[in-house]
Amino acid sequence: MTRSAKKGPYVDEKLYMKVMKAKESGGREAIKTWRRACTIVPEFIGETFMVHNGKTFLRVQITEDMVGHKLGEFSPTRMFRGHSGRK
Amino acid sequence: MPRVAGVDIPNDKAAMYAFRYIYGVGPKSAAMICEKAGIDPRTPAKELDEEQLSKVAGILEEDFIIEGQLRRQVQQNVARLRDIACYRGLRHRRGLPVRGQRTKTNARTRKGPRKTVAGKKSVKEMR
Repeated sequence: MTRSAKKGPYVDEKLYMKVMKAKESGGREAIKTWRRACTIVPEFIGETFMVHNGKTFLRVQITEDMVGHKLGEFSPTRMFRGHSGRK
Repeated sequence: MPRVAGVDIPNDKAAMYAFRYIYGVGPKSAAMICEKAGIDPRTPAKELDEEQLSKVAGILEEDFIIEGQLRRQVQQNVARLRDIACYRGLRHRRGLPVRGQRTKTNARTRKGPRKTVAGKKSVKEMR
C-alpha cells in the first residue's frame, strides 16, 4: 500500500531544516541521522548523510536517482558474509 | 497465421486470448484492444482480416509499450536499483526475493535449484 498522495512524501521536518541549513552555509559535512524512514527529496541531492543502521552510521551520498527512496534503503541493517562451510 | 506487432504469431485461439501472446498484453489490455478495434473478442485469430490486424497494430503502437521496448524498460528499472545500491538493488544483485518474502524456505524462483548443504539439520527431513 502506498502512501496517500494527499499527504505528500514523508520528510522529517527537523532533518529537512538541517539540510537547508547545511546548504546555506555550504557545509560539506555529512549529516548524521537516525531518520531512516525519511523520503529523499530533490533538495537532498549532493548532500552526504550518515545513516544509522542500528549499529553504525553508513555514508550515503545522495544522487539524482535516489529521489523518492527512503534514507534507510541505503543503509543495510543486516549483513551476510556467507555460510561457515563455504570456501 | 496472422502476425501482429512484428514477430508475434498468435494461434487459433479467440482474439482476446491470442493477443495475450504478445509480451506486455494481458487479459485487461487484450479486452481493451478488442473493444477499440471493434473486434468480437471471440473471433479466432486466424479469421481476423488485414484491416482489423492493422488496426490492432496501430493501437499497440500508440497506447502500449510491448516486446523489446518493454523488456528494455524493465531491465533499465532494475539496473537503476542496482546502481544506486538501495535495498531492492542489493536483493537484485544477490538474486534473492526483492519484496520481503521469506528465504528460510521457498523463494525457489529467485534462488534457483536447491543446493543441498551437508550437515545441515534439516537435510534428513527433506529426503
